[in-house]
Amino acid sequence: MSEKLIEFRNVTYIYETDEEDEAPSVPALDGVNLTVSKGEFLCVLGHNGSGKSTLAKMCNAILEPTDGEVIVAGMSTKEEENGDLIRRKVGMVFQNPDNQIVATIVEDDVAFGPENLGVEPSEIRRRVDEALKAVNMYDLRLRQPHNLSGGQKQRVAIAGVLAMQTEVIVLDEPTAMLDPVGRQEVLSTIHKLNKELGITVIMVTHFMEEAVDADRVIVMNAGRIVLDGTPREVFSNTAAVKSCGLDVPQSTELCSRLGVKRTVLTAQEAVEEIIKLCGGVV
Amino acid sequence: MISEITIGQYYTGDSLLHRMDPRMKFDLTFLLVVFVFACKSFFSLALVAMFTLVAILFSSVPLKMILRSIKPIVIIILFTAVLNIIYTTGGETYFKWRSIEITEKGINTAIFMAVRIILLVVISSLLTYTTTPTSLTDAIERLLSPLSVFHIKVHTLAMMMTLALRFIPTLIEEIDRIMNAQKARGAELETGGLIARSKALVPVFIPLMVSSFRRAYELAFAMTCRCYTGGEGRTRMKQMKLRARDFLALFTVIAVIAGIFVLNHFFEAVI
Amino acid sequence: MMAPALEIKNLTHYYYKGTKNQIAAVENVSLTVEKGETLGIIGHTGSGKSTLISHFNGLLKPDEGEVIVDGKNIFENKETLRQSRFKVGLCFQYPEYQLFEETVYKDIAFGPKNMKLPSEEIDRRVQNAAKLAGVKQELLNKSPFDLSGGEKRRAAIAGVMSMEPEVLVLDEPAAGLDPAGRLDLIKMIRHYRDVTGCTVIIVSHSMEDIARIADRVCVLANAKVAMHGTVKEVYSKGDELRSMGLNVPEITRIMLMLREKGIDVPADIYSPDDAVSAVRNYIEGRRGV
Repeated sequence: MSEKLIEFRNVTYIYETDEEDEAPSVPALDGVNLTVSKGEFLCVLGHNGSGKSTLAKMCNAILEPTDGEVIVAGMSTKEEENGDLIRRKVGMVFQNPDNQIVATIVEDDVAFGPENLGVEPSEIRRRVDEALKAVNMYDLRLRQPHNLSGGQKQRVAIAGVLAMQTEVIVLDEPTAMLDPVGRQEVLSTIHKLNKELGITVIMVTHFMEEAVDADRVIVMNAGRIVLDGTPREVFSNTAAVKSCGLDVPQSTELCSRLGVKRTVLTAQEAVEEIIKLCGGVV
Repeated sequence: MISEITIGQYYTGDSLLHRMDPRMKFDLTFLLVVFVFACKSFFSLALVAMFTLVAILFSSVPLKMILRSIKPIVIIILFTAVLNIIYTTGGETYFKWRSIEITEKGINTAIFMAVRIILLVVISSLLTYTTTPTSLTDAIERLLSPLSVFHIKVHTLAMMMTLALRFIPTLIEEIDRIMNAQKARGAELETGGLIARSKALVPVFIPLMVSSFRRAYELAFAMTCRCYTGGEGRTRMKQMKLRARDFLALFTVIAVIAGIFVLNHFFEAVI
Repeated sequence: MMAPALEIKNLTHYYYKGTKNQIAAVENVSLTVEKGETLGIIGHTGSGKSTLISHFNGLLKPDEGEVIVDGKNIFENKETLRQSRFKVGLCFQYPEYQLFEETVYKDIAFGPKNMKLPSEEIDRRVQNAAKLAGVKQELLNKSPFDLSGGEKRRAAIAGVMSMEPEVLVLDEPAAGLDPAGRLDLIKMIRHYRDVTGCTVIIVSHSMEDIARIADRVCVLANAKVAMHGTVKEVYSKGDELRSMGLNVPEITRIMLMLREKGIDVPADIYSPDDAVSAVRNYIEGRRGV
C-alpha cells in the first residue's frame, strides 16, 4: 500500500493504578504492531475493555506507550515536543458528544481548533464554512449545541476536526450514544470524508454492521490484535469473532449457516445468495 | 421546571443590536445602568424608558421574552415597593393606621424605584438576548486585557466563563434526570423541613459531582486533542470591529445621558 | 377478573402548555399491560417514549387521561401517588448515573429504605435483588464508583429491583453495551421475569433486543401509538416501521427483500435461527412440488 501514516511498533500500555493492593494490572495493550496507510478506512472492533479505546488514544499522543513506540508521520509520540505537531495531523472524536463541544454556538465551536493553531481569521472563516458544509450542518451553524440532536452534535465535533485540516481522524465509538437515525447520519458523514476528501479514518466501534464498509478491520481482544484483514476476511472467521465477545453481521451468520460458501456482508448480498440457493430466479 | 429560567439566554436573530460590536454593547449597557441611577425625576426616567423601548424594537426580541426576564424579580420589585410606601413619608397623607402612613411621596418613590429596577433588568437582559455568550465573554476578555499587565490571566478567566455558560443547560438537564431517577426510588426531594430537604439532596448532589468531574476530565482531553494550550498564539475567527452603527449608538446613548441631566434640572426630583 | 398491572387511558401530555409553542409529547395514548406480561415499547428519539413512561409512576402528571396501577388511579391522592413509585419501578437510561452511596449494598438499599421497611426485610431485598441483577456478592461492600461499566449498570438496576415493584420499567437497559454485554443483560431481565413473575416493560429503539424478550410490542411515533400487537404482527410490517425511522433487524429486512423477489418466506422473522429454518423449509417445499 501507499504511504505509512501511523505505525505501532510492539506497543504495550499499562494503566497506572493508584492503590498498591490492586492486583498487578493487566496491560491494556500487549505488544501491538499495526501500520495505517494514508487514505485507509480502518475499523477497530472489540468488546468493552479489549483495549480498543487505548489504541485510539495512542494515535495522537494523548497516551504514551509504556513500552514500544508509536510513530505518526515520522514523529515518535514519546517526544514531548511532538505532541502538538502530532495532534495537528491526527484529530479525535469521542463517544459523548456533549463533553467535547466547547463553545455555545455551533460555528464558534468548529472554529476552536483552527483558532488554537493561530490560523488567520479569514482563513478560519473559510475552513469553518467548508467543514460545516462537509458534514451537512451549515444551515444550523448559528444554533446552540444543547438544542441539537446527538447525531448533529457528533457531526459538529467532526467538523471541528475537519477545520483543523488533520490528515487522520480517529473516532472512539462515535455512535455508541446515538439512536439509529443519528448513527446513520454520522456513519455516512465519515464515509463521505474518507472517499471524497481522502481523509484517513480510524473508527473504534462495537457495532459489526459499521465495520462492513471499512477497507480493513482489526479485532482486538485482551490488548492484542487477533484478527486483521478486509471485512470479508475477518467475518469469514465466525468462530474467532464470536470468541472475542462479538458478533458477525446477521447476514453473514444467516448465509454461513445456510451453507453459502462466499462470506456475505450485507442484506443485499444475502438475498442474492439465498435466491441462488432456491434455484435461481423464481 | 428549572429549565425555564431565561436570564442570560441568547435570542437568535440578526437585528441591528445583534450586529453591534459586543464591546460597545457592553460599555453602553454599563453606562446606561450607571446613569439610570442618576435619574432624579419621572421625566428623565421616562426618557430612558423610551430609549429602551426603541432599543427593544431594534433588537427584534419579542416583548414576551423581555417580560419573561422580569418575572423572576417580581417579588423583589413588590417587596421594595412595599418598603418604600411604608418608610417614605411626605406630601399628602392618603391613609394612616398607627405608625403606618401612606403618603403621596411614598407612592411616588415606590413607583419610581420599581420602574428603575425594571429598566435595569430590561437593559441588561437586552444585552444578553442580543449577544451570544461567546462574544460576550470575548468582549469582556478584550475589555479586561489591559489587566494582564498585573499578571491577571484574563484569557483563562474568559475561557472558564465560556465553558460555564456552555455547560449550564447540560447540567440543568442532568439535574433533572438524576432527580427523576432518585424520585423513582422513592426519594422525597420536595417535602420536609430545611434540614430534611438538604439531606435529601445528597443523592442528587453526589451523582452530579461525579458526572461533572467526568465531564471536566473528558472535556480537558478533547480540548488538548484540539491543540488548546491556553491563550498564547490563539487567533479569533470573529474579529471585533467598530462600525458606523456602533458610533451611532454611542452618540444616541450620550444624548440620552445629556437628556437625563437636562430633565433632572428642569423637573422636580422624586428622590 | 384480575385487574391489569397497568392501564393508561387516553393519556395526553403537553410541553410548553398554554404558550404558542404548545406541543403534545404524548397524545391520546391508551395502553393495557396485563400482570406477568412483557411489553416492549419502541419509537424513534422524540417519539414520546420517555415522557410516556415518566407517567407510569407519577413523575409526570398527565394533562388529560388517567394512569391506573393495579386498579387504582395513581393521582387519586398523595398516598396512591407514593405507592405508585414503589409499585412501578422505573429505571432510566444510563441508570449508573444515579449511584451515590458509599457501598453498592447501601445504594441498592436506598429504595427499600425510602419505603420504611424493617431492616431484615431490607437486607433480604438487597440480597435478592443483587442476585437477580447479577451483582456479585463480593461487590456489595465496594464503592459503586470502583465498579466496571457493566457492573455499575447491574448495580443500578438492582437498586430498582430491590423495591420489588409489580411492574419493572426499563428505559434502554442495554444502551452503550457491547454485543455480549447486551445479550447478557437481556438474559438477566428474562431470568428476573421468569423467577419473579413480574410485569416488565422495556423501552428501546433496538428491535433486536425487544424481539428477544417481549410478548407484545407497542410502537410510538410522533407522540401517538402507531402500532400495537404481538412481536410477530408488528415486525411483519417492516416497511411501515422503517418509514417511522426505526431500524428493522437485518434478518427481517432480508426476509422482506426475499418476499419482494417472490420467494414466499414468512415476513415475521427476526432471529437468525428462525430465518435458517424458514429458508430451508422453503427450499424443501419447492423440491417437494
